[in-house]
Amino acid sequence: MSQTLTSSSQAVRTPAPARSPADRIAQWIPKLVLSPTLVIVVVFFYGFIFWTGLLSFTNSRMLPSYGLVGWDNYVRLFNNERWLVALGNLGIYAFLFIVICLVLGLLLAILLDQKIRAEGALRTIYLYPMALSFIVTGTVWKWMLNPQVGLEQFVQSLGWESFQFDWLVNPDFSIYTVVIAAVWQSSGFVMALFLAGLRGVDDSIIKAAQIDGASRFTIYTRIIIPSLRPVFFSAFIMLAHIAIKSFDLALALTGGGPGISSDLPAIFMYQLSFTRNQMGIGAASAMIMLLTVIAILVPYLYSELRVKKHD
Amino acid sequence: MASLNIENVEKSFDQTHILKGINMDIRDGEFIILVGPSGCGKSTLMNCIAGLEDVTSGSISIANQDITSVLPKNRDIAMVFQSYALYPNMNVRKNISFGLEIRKLPKDVIANEVDRVAKLLQIEHLLDRKPGQLSGGQRQRVAMGRALARQPKIYLFDEPLSNLDAKLRVEMRTEIKKLHQRLGTTIVYVTHDQIEAMTLADRIAVMKDGHIQQFGSPQEVYDNPANRFVAGFMGSPSMNFIEVLVVQKQDRACIELAIDGITHYLPTPDQEQRVRQMVGQTVILGIRPEQITHVIPHYDDNPGIARVDATVEVIEPTGADTLVLVRMNGQEVNCRVDPYEARQPGQVMTLMLNMGKAVFFDVDSGERI
Amino acid sequence: MTEHNQRRYSDISGRAILYALLGIMALYYLLPLALMIVTSFRSMDEIRMGQLIDWPTQLSLDAWRIAWDQAQIGARSEKGLRPYFINSLLMTLPAVAISTMIGAINGYVLSFWRFKGSNLFFGLLLFGCFIPFQAILLPHATVLGKMGISGSIVGLVFTHVIYGVAFTTLFFRNYYVTIPGELVKAAQLDGAGFWRIFFRIMLPLSTPILTVCVIWQFTQVWNDFLFGVTFSDPSSQPITVGLNNLVNSSTGERRYNVDMAGAIIAALPTLLVYVIAGKYFVRGLTAGSVKG
Repeated sequence: MSQTLTSSSQAVRTPAPARSPADRIAQWIPKLVLSPTLVIVVVFFYGFIFWTGLLSFTNSRMLPSYGLVGWDNYVRLFNNERWLVALGNLGIYAFLFIVICLVLGLLLAILLDQKIRAEGALRTIYLYPMALSFIVTGTVWKWMLNPQVGLEQFVQSLGWESFQFDWLVNPDFSIYTVVIAAVWQSSGFVMALFLAGLRGVDDSIIKAAQIDGASRFTIYTRIIIPSLRPVFFSAFIMLAHIAIKSFDLALALTGGGPGISSDLPAIFMYQLSFTRNQMGIGAASAMIMLLTVIAILVPYLYSELRVKKHD
Repeated sequence: MASLNIENVEKSFDQTHILKGINMDIRDGEFIILVGPSGCGKSTLMNCIAGLEDVTSGSISIANQDITSVLPKNRDIAMVFQSYALYPNMNVRKNISFGLEIRKLPKDVIANEVDRVAKLLQIEHLLDRKPGQLSGGQRQRVAMGRALARQPKIYLFDEPLSNLDAKLRVEMRTEIKKLHQRLGTTIVYVTHDQIEAMTLADRIAVMKDGHIQQFGSPQEVYDNPANRFVAGFMGSPSMNFIEVLVVQKQDRACIELAIDGITHYLPTPDQEQRVRQMVGQTVILGIRPEQITHVIPHYDDNPGIARVDATVEVIEPTGADTLVLVRMNGQEVNCRVDPYEARQPGQVMTLMLNMGKAVFFDVDSGERI
Repeated sequence: MTEHNQRRYSDISGRAILYALLGIMALYYLLPLALMIVTSFRSMDEIRMGQLIDWPTQLSLDAWRIAWDQAQIGARSEKGLRPYFINSLLMTLPAVAISTMIGAINGYVLSFWRFKGSNLFFGLLLFGCFIPFQAILLPHATVLGKMGISGSIVGLVFTHVIYGVAFTTLFFRNYYVTIPGELVKAAQLDGAGFWRIFFRIMLPLSTPILTVCVIWQFTQVWNDFLFGVTFSDPSSQPITVGLNNLVNSSTGERRYNVDMAGAIIAALPTLLVYVIAGKYFVRGLTAGSVKG
């Protein structure tokens, strides 16, 4: 190798000047600036999760106390009929909410993607409920679904005397009213996600398929919709997350009732912890909710990261 | 303007060694080009010189002052980036004067400096525009103007022309060369375009895998490559590499070349001494396409010239020359011939090899023999 | 009929069906809002006599007045939703400003001043976007008490900042990584330091994401109910809690017109933001979901 090592490097060389104190502080600024957030993450996120986990193994009632009781709270939790109802309700609610939102959102997005006039206005209309508080949504639907004054009474007064729509006050159906209101609020958001996804599909692929003679229906079912897989994934995660956290909507709409028929884990957790003085069990139920979120999130993140590595 | 000395500079990120002991002594006013494939460490070396990344070990000095641990702002270095990195929210005037303002120069000095640079680069009419309103070539000029305004000791150019279209690139290349001749500044310039390297550099440093493979004048690097990598990297189309056997023929060391079933024994006049030691072994013959031409009769007497007949497989006219693909020792070989002498594919053509310009490499290590 | 004509007719009827479907869906989404507005302008007498869907015979602002500052909500001495509305403003504005600022600086550091472990840090933060708040509710209540700010607006601001930072950081970080890092390098060589680069170069470039982030945070904080109901006392309760109390606390006859007027009052600020800057709202939703 002919690396040139000339001898001019033997010339007298001034040693490196020391960095001034100001410069040295400057080097620490980025870390310094991030440190409050680091405290937030370590203490308020993970520390508090750990703390909640700890509380779930104690005999805390109205105030935290630290007598360890092992798995007692979890045993009592899963022997509690109200919790089991809440879990079952969450299953029904989450399943229907996610499926209907995905189907409706995709359908609306595809319809809107047909070079529609006034697309902007329609999009605005489909999406505005997302700007509302769940409490507002609950208040409105509570009134509309009320059999005495709402839709049922309205349809009956139009002449269809036998019309019945009393889900709100019917213990067998009350959870479905939560689904109706939640879908109304969130499906527009799924539509927006899918629409963004549709607009991102490579145009040349569609043109290639058209040249190959594929019908519009085939292009959608065989090419476009499969390519939206990542959108399905993230929409699913968001919806599942909303469903598990659902608290305000059910509280405002049904209050968990009639009875406990539309109870959800988030309501259960809140009431046991803050109004029924059963902090230990409340903490245990919170941990179960967290684990559910993790159970959904981890496979998602895993698959996301794996895909990225393949790229 | 100043000299730049890089001594044993190493840089690693965790377990990855990017730079593995770089040594360079750059004289005051020299135009140095760093070339190499992507990932060879040339941009990292650039960032280390600028102080944007700390070196793991080794030292860097500017004008014989050690600046290894000096912050970038105190190194008195300016840099032109591939993406130009113009501040999008400031107009051209602000872009050029930003660094001067930070250094708290008096207002009138700044104004004069901006005017001087704008005149030099002919961008006076653009001073009040935002970067978003400029064409690629104009942005490039502004980026250079920003660097020139501070009159730093060293200029760093990080692939400054790679975002321009081909025509503009050639124009700007000439312009940078003129600028360097006029200002006589020390420039370190990274590129992956070997034509840029050949045309601009006083000296070229060819890098690969964190090492400098060769550091020398453009012609030196082109004619006398240190190893097979350098030989293959510089020049387009690339140098031909042919595996050949060295044999002894009538007291001379020759190489064996089979073309269309006929074996030729070609002498190696200039490198007799070195090749002689390799008799009986296989070596890599390196010969540039322009050393295999159509027959030029008055070259016949030069030592090392040999005529061979070969069947043309493919021709690629480039206008000035035509590239002819033939097969020697079963390997594809590019020849650069006169367009009017080139034969059609399938026809036999007589070619003239200038073995005097041939170079030889070790089969395994790729080092020059 | 020629084949060409057949195709044209089927196209036209297809478009008709398409528009009909879209129109019906628009009605489905609009109906509750329309009913809300109409009902809030009807008087209680009309509601008692009439129908769910009916035009008000005369525009009555009574329900609005009652909801705003006359309704007795719970045992409060101050009447109406007004104090709640003011609480919400006092809580939302600082919470949005602070969390956005922290997010901007965090995003700036995580994009341009990376250090060993900064990616891990970002990953840990990202997970924070998904924590169901029930899992931190109990310790947070204890800590707010220890800090002496439980049941106060300061405590609510503090809470919203803490649990909003994950999202705001995500927004800015994902925006800043699209800006070439060479810009920061150039500024460093020009002699600019950490803060000067942030305020002179990055912040002026951040208007779009700033808008997205402010709108997102505003909507989140304004619409929050869980923190509001858990960490406030009657003097600091936000509007969502106020509305819920209004709807559930009044004894005797349900005054639906008042409920609806209250609901609109609670929804008005976020609706307004949505109407004015809907584009950015949608961008925030998609950015927050696709990446988060």
